[in-house]
Amino acid sequence: MKKEDTVKLISSDGFEFIVDKEAAMVSQTIRNMLTSPGSFAERQHGEVTFPEISTTILEKICQYFYWHLEFASGKDREFPIEPELTLELMMAANYLHT
Amino acid sequence: MSNQKKKHFQIEAFKHKVVMDPKYPDKTWKILEDAIHEIYNHNASGLSFEELYRNAYNMVLHKFGERLYSGLVATMTVHLKDIAQSIEAAQGGSFLEELNRKWNDHNKALQMIRDILMYMDRTYVPSARKTPVHELGLNLWRENVIYSSQIRTRLLNTLLELIHSERTGEVIDRGIMRNITKMLMDLGPSVYEHEFEKHFTNVSAEFYQVESQRFIECCDCGDYLKKAERRLNEEMDRVSHYLDPETEKKINKVVEEQMIENHMLRLIHMENSGLVNMLCDDKYEDLGRMYTLFRRVTDGLLKIREVMTSHIRESGKQLVTDPERLKDPVEFVQRLLDEKDKYDKIINLPFNNDKSFQNALNSSFEYFINLNPRSPEFISLFVDDKLRKGLKGVNEDDVEVTLDKVMMLFRYLQEKDVFEKYYKQHLAKRLLSGKTVSDDAERSLIVKLKTECGYQFTSKLEGMFTDMKTSQDTMQGFYASHPDLGDGPTLTVQVLTTGSWPTQSSITCNLPAEISALCEKFRSYYLGTHTGRRLSWQTNMGFADLKATFGKGQKHELNVSTYQMCVLMLFNNADKLSYKEIEQATEIPAPDLKRCLQSLALVKGRNVLRKEPMSKDVVEDDAFFVNDKFSSKLYKVKIGTVVAQKESEPEKQETRQRVEEDRKPQIEAAIVRIMKSRKQLDHNNLIAEVTKQLQSRFLANPTEVKKRIESLIERDFLERDDNDRKLYRYLA
Repeated sequence: MKKEDTVKLISSDGFEFIVDKEAAMVSQTIRNMLTSPGSFAERQHGEVTFPEISTTILEKICQYFYWHLEFASGKDREFPIEPELTLELMMAANYLHT
Repeated sequence: MSNQKKKHFQIEAFKHKVVMDPKYPDKTWKILEDAIHEIYNHNASGLSFEELYRNAYNMVLHKFGERLYSGLVATMTVHLKDIAQSIEAAQGGSFLEELNRKWNDHNKALQMIRDILMYMDRTYVPSARKTPVHELGLNLWRENVIYSSQIRTRLLNTLLELIHSERTGEVIDRGIMRNITKMLMDLGPSVYEHEFEKHFTNVSAEFYQVESQRFIECCDCGDYLKKAERRLNEEMDRVSHYLDPETEKKINKVVEEQMIENHMLRLIHMENSGLVNMLCDDKYEDLGRMYTLFRRVTDGLLKIREVMTSHIRESGKQLVTDPERLKDPVEFVQRLLDEKDKYDKIINLPFNNDKSFQNALNSSFEYFINLNPRSPEFISLFVDDKLRKGLKGVNEDDVEVTLDKVMMLFRYLQEKDVFEKYYKQHLAKRLLSGKTVSDDAERSLIVKLKTECGYQFTSKLEGMFTDMKTSQDTMQGFYASHPDLGDGPTLTVQVLTTGSWPTQSSITCNLPAEISALCEKFRSYYLGTHTGRRLSWQTNMGFADLKATFGKGQKHELNVSTYQMCVLMLFNNADKLSYKEIEQATEIPAPDLKRCLQSLALVKGRNVLRKEPMSKDVVEDDAFFVNDKFSSKLYKVKIGTVVAQKESEPEKQETRQRVEEDRKPQIEAAIVRIMKSRKQLDHNNLIAEVTKQLQSRFLANPTEVKKRIESLIERDFLERDDNDRKLYRYLA
């Protein structure tokens, strides 16, 4: 993974997840962040901090990104979601427009 | 959570009160407001997108969308007003540049703002039915900057000034123009139109009105058209570079109207350089330009066509009524063909093969060719000349081309039956004197006539060819069965079927003894194989080759007509003969005899006889001698060929009369045919039908048709209705 093609997503606890830009941009919000004109800090440093998203949730979301890239077109596999994460995951998804 | 008392399952409302900090919305909004300020001040680097996005998100989530939105509107408006002021302050040339720069800035800022406020755009905006952020940004720009009183008119004027200077030859910055017009287009569907396009077309109209007036005073037609074309191209170029493509047709219309439509007639009729001059001088380039330009405006081509038509008719009319031209029929027809060629080329190249022009040309030719009643005769004479000698040595393809051109003229004739009569006469002369250049060419023309007019037109003509062929065979048979005649004079007989050949009066003359004996032998031979037929000798149509020895020993072979032969043979037995003696001996009718003697005695280089006295006219008391001093450079001397000539007045009258006579039965046949199928028909319709049926041969005269109807009524073919005098009924 080349450095230019990746972006660092940081959870509220400070955990850093390094993912492909392509995967991250499954989230419309992150896509806007990275493609908006103007020199916002995130784009300059290549990292985004989410103070309101916990590590567990952020981890699940990164998994979803990759699942989406691979399986979203067909209906082969369902994305596995543990029930206790549902509410928080939904809110994060709303926030991230995913 | 599970209630195990009964089957009641109740989920209680969430009663936990979320206490919100009352200052929360204001604080959050302040953060965003500051961010917007920074963005507009080009200070946005270093801001955290996520933080701003989160704040906006939370505001909307906690139902403060309204606050957020109205705050946005207010802030943007403030900034835009500032921007407007700075643009207004710009001096002269930098006005547009400043506007352009600020516009680009605004767009960038707008996008950033929209990205941050994406959540609001997605959720609050549609549900509260507000204008989305991007559109809002454009609207605010429009209201505060473009519609600002100072900027609005200044912008328009600047644009128009620049265009004007470009039109007068200066170079302007097209890039900026493009950006500005694009901005106007982006701001809304009618902004471009109202703020710019409308005024642009008006100002352009004025500009071109002035310019066209100036040009037309000082330029000739060709130059003017070149200028107009150049301006049109310029405008198209302008549109493609920095205007909305939709403007193209509007500005084209303006230029076309001002430069072309308003001056159409003046251009066409311009002295020394207008349409007629272009036509006469074959100015293809100018004509082509006029065609393409005038085609853009209503009735442009119509006007050209009208003037061209009347010009062709006029000049054609002069051609056919000019007495000088009528002296030489072959020249006359050649001129017609040249005119047709000229206009065909004009219509083909500059006028783009336009069918309506071709039709106009055809109708004009039809009009003036028929103005001269001798046209059919002259066309036949032209063909005769070509088939006699004109097409000698010409290759097959060129022959076809010439014949096709003749057919073209033939089609224009209204009196095709007159042509037929003359053609028969001329063909007969050609065949009988053996003077046709190419048998193939003759036949080719017959085929073309047949294709054009049908079998009946050409059946007699084909009969003539058949007779010639049959006669050849007959002659072979004759000599084969009379081997003893090998030493005497050689006889060649053409047996003509009466119906096919032009009618001639058959007056025979006295042939020399040797010849008449031979003729009798032939007559019995022929009637032996063809019983029931009658032969009569046509002595006025034949010719003979005589071997003559003159006083000083000079030998010549003389090619003479049959009449001339009879006269000359008499001098084998006498040195001097008077006119009266010759007349008695030969029994040739007087006018023919006189002509014959004139051609033998009075034509220099062919005067095998001498006349006393040497006067031009032949009278009763003249005496004739063999001219012993006769000399000629050639061994073979041709005297008096029977050449087709333009008819004299009396001959013309006679032919015309015969044609009229021939038409009567044709009209009657048409009437009977029509009445038989319709059973009854009124007078006007009958005349119309008859005319239509006969129009491929000639133009029926209504008076004549009426006479024929009367005649048919008398003969009980038709009857008049008792109640309606104008209705006719067919009697079976």
